Amino acid sequence: MTQTQIIGTDNPLNDDHRRILAIVLDLIVPASEDGQRPSAADVDVLGYIRETEGHTLDGLRAELDQLDAEAFESQGEAFASLDPATRQALVDAVREREPHFMRTLAMQTVTCYYRDDRVLEAIGVGARPPFPEGYEVPSGDLSLLEPVRRRGQIYREA
Amino acid sequence: MADEVVDVLIVGAGASGAAVAWSLAETRMRIVCLEQGGWMNPAEYPSNGRDWERRAAKEMQVSPNLRKRPADYPINDDDSPIAILNFNAVGGSTILYSAHFPRFHPSDFRVKSLDGVADDWPIDYATLEPFFAENDNNIGVAGLAGDPAVPAHRPPLPHLPMGRMGETMGRGFNKLGWHWWPSDSAIITRPHNGRGQCLNLGPCNTGCAQGAKSSADIAYWPMNERAGVELRTHCRVREITVDNRDMATGVTYFDADGNERHQRAEVVVVACNGVGTPRLLLNSTSARFPNGLANRSGLVGRNLMLHPWGAVAGYFDEPLGSNFGPQGCCILSQEFYETDTSRGFVRGYNMQITRGGPPVGTARGGIAHGTIPWGAGHHDAFDRLFGRNIHLGICCEDLPEEHNRVTLDPELTDSNGIPSPKISYTLSENSRRMLDHGLARGAEAMEAAGAWKIQKAPSPIRMAGWHLLGTARMGTDPERSVVNEWGRSHDVRNLFIVDGSVFVTSGGVNPTTTIQAVALYIADSMKRRLAELFD
Repeated sequence: MTQTQIIGTDNPLNDDHRRILAIVLDLIVPASEDGQRPSAADVDVLGYIRETEGHTLDGLRAELDQLDAEAFESQGEAFASLDPATRQALVDAVREREPHFMRTLAMQTVTCYYRDDRVLEAIGVGARPPFPEGYEVPSGDLSLLEPVRRRGQIYREA
Repeated sequence: MADEVVDVLIVGAGASGAAVAWSLAETRMRIVCLEQGGWMNPAEYPSNGRDWERRAAKEMQVSPNLRKRPADYPINDDDSPIAILNFNAVGGSTILYSAHFPRFHPSDFRVKSLDGVADDWPIDYATLEPFFAENDNNIGVAGLAGDPAVPAHRPPLPHLPMGRMGETMGRGFNKLGWHWWPSDSAIITRPHNGRGQCLNLGPCNTGCAQGAKSSADIAYWPMNERAGVELRTHCRVREITVDNRDMATGVTYFDADGNERHQRAEVVVVACNGVGTPRLLLNSTSARFPNGLANRSGLVGRNLMLHPWGAVAGYFDEPLGSNFGPQGCCILSQEFYETDTSRGFVRGYNMQITRGGPPVGTARGGIAHGTIPWGAGHHDAFDRLFGRNIHLGICCEDLPEEHNRVTLDPELTDSNGIPSPKISYTLSENSRRMLDHGLARGAEAMEAAGAWKIQKAPSPIRMAGWHLLGTARMGTDPERSVVNEWGRSHDVRNLFIVDGSVFVTSGGVNPTTTIQAVALYIADSMKRRLAELFD
C-alpha cells in the first residue's frame, strides 16, 4: 500500500490517477487558443468534486483505472505515457463504445470550470456572483410594438 | 395560548394566504397564520455567491421530493407525466416563481358559455379587476400599459428591460403578424414600499437576493406583521377540527418542536395550494365528514389542472446578451390564447419568452445534448450558444377532468406522520393537441426571429407542475362545487378556501396574479359580510 492510499480520505486519487485525470480534463476542455481561458486541468476540478460530490470519487477512480488498463492492453504502456494523438483516440474509442463513460466527470468539469475567475471574465459575465452588482440590460425598442398596437384588441369580451 | 380563540386562522403563508391576511388585517380581528416552513434569508440565496448555479440546482430544487428540506412533504406523483413542484416557506412557491404575471382574460371565466366546455366561473373578470389592481399596487407590478390582448390596465411600475433578445423575438413575431408585448412582472423596477429595484441578477427562480422579486414573504408579510397579523412558522397543520354543528373549531398542528397543539378559531382559511389544500381537507375526517372535510360533493381533490408545459429553444448568430435579465420575464405572445376551433382544440395557450441559460447551465446542457463537444471545439461551441439562445415556454390551458385528482397516499407520510398526497393525472387529448400546436408555433416564431438552430423539448415537460389548480372548485351548486362564489365552503360555514384550488378552469397563463386577486376578492367578500358571515 502506498503512502497516498493510506491517507485516502484526504487524497482520494493516487499520483497515477491524478496524472491521468489531468490529461482527461485537458481533453474535455483544453485552453483556448487566445490564452484567455485556461485548460480544465488548470482548474481545481478534483477539489471541487471532493467538496461537492465526493460520493462520485469511487466511480471516477474506476474510470481512470479503466483507461489505464485499456492503454496497457491496446498499446502496452500506461495511459499517461501515450502520445497525445493516441490518448485522444483511446478516449474517443471508449466513449464511442460506452456513451456514459466519464459523463459525470465532464459535467463536474464544466460546472467547476464555469465558475473560475479567468473563465467568467473571458465570457463576459465578470469574476463575481450576480448579487449585488447585477447587470445592465437595454430596455428595448418599444416602437417595435407599433404593428401590435395598430391591430388592436384581440381578446374576447365576455 | 392553547385555549385562546383567534378570530381568523389562516393555514399557509404563500401567495394567497399572505394576500388574505393583508386584506383582513384592517378589520383589527385577531389573525394568526400557521406556516409549515420558516423565513427564507435572501442573504443566503445562491446568487450571493460564486457557486450559485450548483447551489441553486440542489438547495432550491423545484421538486420537494428531491429537495427534501425539513419543511417539505413528499408527494407521490408517479402516476402523472407532470411532477408536482412547490416550495414550503413563508412566501410559499413565490420564493421560486419566475414572477411572470399575466392576468386571466375575461373569456377564462366564461369557458362553458363561449366554448361549450368545462364550466363558467360564478364570478367574472370585472368582479376581480379591482383586486388585480389592488394586488399590483401592493406588491409592485412592472409592465407596459396598452396590451391589446387583455383589458386595459396600468401596471404601477415601468416594464422590465426586454434586452436585445426581446427585440429579436419581437421582430420575429412582427414578421408573422402575431401579438407580443412586454409581460407584466411581479418584479419592481423602481423602489417600492421600501424595497430596492431589480438589478437584473438573473436567477429569479432561485430566490431573489435583492428582494426585488415580489415573493409573498417580502411583498406582503412585512406589511401584515406591522398590521398585527401573527405568523407562526414551522407549524404544520394535521387537520381542521369541527363540531357537531358542522362548524370548524380550529386546527390541530405540530409546532417547531414537534409538539401536537390545537388552535381554536372562529374562522379557518385554507391557503395551501391546489395539492396541499385537498390533502389537508382529506386528512380532516370525522364522523360528520368521513370522506374529508367540506367534501360532501365528493369533489375535493378532483379536477386537478396543471398547465401542461412545452418548451422551444432558439439559437442565434448574433450576441444577444440573453444570459442577462430576469430569467422568466421578458415578453409574451398571446396570439393563440383565445379559442379557434380550426386549430383542432379548444381554448389556448400563452407563449412566455424567457432568458437564455447561464454559464454552467449552457455548458452542461451542451455536453448533455452533444452540442458542445469535448476538446478543441469546446470554446467555439460554447460561444455559439452562450448569450445567443432564447427560450419559449408554452403554457397550455388544462381543462378540468374529475379523474385528474389528489388523494391520500396509503403509505407515504411526511416527517410528522401525516399522510401525503398522491397524484393521479393523465394528459387529455385536447391538451396534447394544444401542446403540439404550441411547439410548432414556437418553432415558427424562432425561425421568423432568425434562429439558426431550433430545439423542441419533449413535452409536456415533467418538471413543470407549478400551477396547482381546481381541486376545491368554486360554484353556486353544492353538488358541483366545494366552495361558494365567495370562497366559503358549502358544507362548513366558517371555512374558507382562498388558493388556486377554487379555480373552476385554469386559464392559459401563470396563475399567481389571478390567485392573489381571487384571494383579495374573497377577503373583501368576508369583510362585507362580517355581520352575517355564517348565515
